[in-house]
Amino acid sequence: MGIKTAVSLYSLQYQFLQGKMTLDDIFKFVKDINADGIEILPDQMLRGTPTPTEATYAEWDALTSKYNLDLVCDDIFLNTNLYKSRELTRRECIELIKQEIIMAHRLGFKIIRLVSMTPAWILEPCLETAEKYGVALCIEVHGGLGFGVDKTDEFLNEMLRLDSPYIGIVPDTSLFCRKVPRIVGNYCNKLFGTNPDLIKYAEEVFENGTDFFALEKKHGKMDPKLASLIKDPAKDMFYAANLSGYENCALSCMDPFVKYIKHVHFKLYEMTDEGIEYSIDFKEVLDYLHKHGYNGHVATEYEGNRWILPDEEIPDKEQVASHQKLIQKLIKEIEG
Amino acid sequence: MFDNNVFIEGTCKNVVENGEIIGYEMETNITYYRGIPLSMVNFVAVEVDGIKVPEEDIRFTPDHIDWFTLKEMETVATIKWEYGIPATVRVLQKGGLSKGSHEVKLTVCTRTAYIPFPLEGNMTRTVIIE
Repeated sequence: MGIKTAVSLYSLQYQFLQGKMTLDDIFKFVKDINADGIEILPDQMLRGTPTPTEATYAEWDALTSKYNLDLVCDDIFLNTNLYKSRELTRRECIELIKQEIIMAHRLGFKIIRLVSMTPAWILEPCLETAEKYGVALCIEVHGGLGFGVDKTDEFLNEMLRLDSPYIGIVPDTSLFCRKVPRIVGNYCNKLFGTNPDLIKYAEEVFENGTDFFALEKKHGKMDPKLASLIKDPAKDMFYAANLSGYENCALSCMDPFVKYIKHVHFKLYEMTDEGIEYSIDFKEVLDYLHKHGYNGHVATEYEGNRWILPDEEIPDKEQVASHQKLIQKLIKEIEG
Repeated sequence: MFDNNVFIEGTCKNVVENGEIIGYEMETNITYYRGIPLSMVNFVAVEVDGIKVPEEDIRFTPDHIDWFTLKEMETVATIKWEYGIPATVRVLQKGGLSKGSHEVKLTVCTRTAYIPFPLEGNMTRTVIIE
């Protein structure tokens, strides 16, 4: 036992979208870079989910036996806004989650990652189905949508109340940014002409050990200095509004929930030429997980793909390979 | 954020049926990172040379099996627009686009599961009709 690695196939979404890699190519790539497993968004790379055809299941089965990768996590979404005119009722939502549990089981997954903001009230009515199929329902705790956000806190409270091995969390390392992602500032400056002073201020805030989610909480509105640096909303607002998705939390924010960690998203914005991630200290994160006896997977989730200029090639394969090299090395060092 | 997914280059062309040009169409990928039922497409808009196409003239298909008006799509919860499979947006207009160069703008807007605002993607392409 020990910490194992995985790649969220989300990382390679543009290869798939542009028809450069099939799902088979992607599985091969993950195997070739020595990751132990995969995480998938069925809505992204499988057809007809959550009720795929038998033919789709047969293709999936062939792929999973060919590459023998751990089937780590199934990322699902609850389409509460399926219709323009109304929100889905609780009964409709619960039925949708049950369908997803059945599909996750059929695909071979034991963990479902529920997207942030999934309502806590789906848990109790879905628990029996989760137990029957052996699938844990785990909320994603993501920067800007995590601890201190009402819907996430409600979910965490419900998780503590029900205290089931079939309910847990998937923390995302966007919570632990020690530097604001450089790639985002570069993108916004080049594409929209974002004010360099605004970007510099964001860097300083992180250097001072805080972040914009915390400042917004403190002020009850956008940090006044950040607001004062928005000179032209067309150029600056996108960058400014996006900043609260990166938090600079202490690892100890996970302490009360550590036994519920079923899987971890290792967010990747930018691997540098030195082979480290620009914003996140993965040694610090892995040390914490190891110290707390975590022996699940940690999955590369490359999100730098959103911040590549339109006429530039997305270096997704290179970034994912470099990140895996880093975390595999760190795990070896830490576990001995 | 998903602008580059919109309006696949080189796909805009006039549509001929029974020897007549009935309109024009273009292909686009989804403005999201996963497939969604058609009812979650918030709207689609087309503009040609700065003039907006009437909504009722737009037809949409995710797979060339079923075609829908935008109004009809609001109720289509079982047919998905899959990620990685381009949909076709057709504008019904007798005679289609005239010969020459046109600036065609396509906007695709989707509702997502957890982001509180719909995600809009825009792309304008110069289309030459010969």
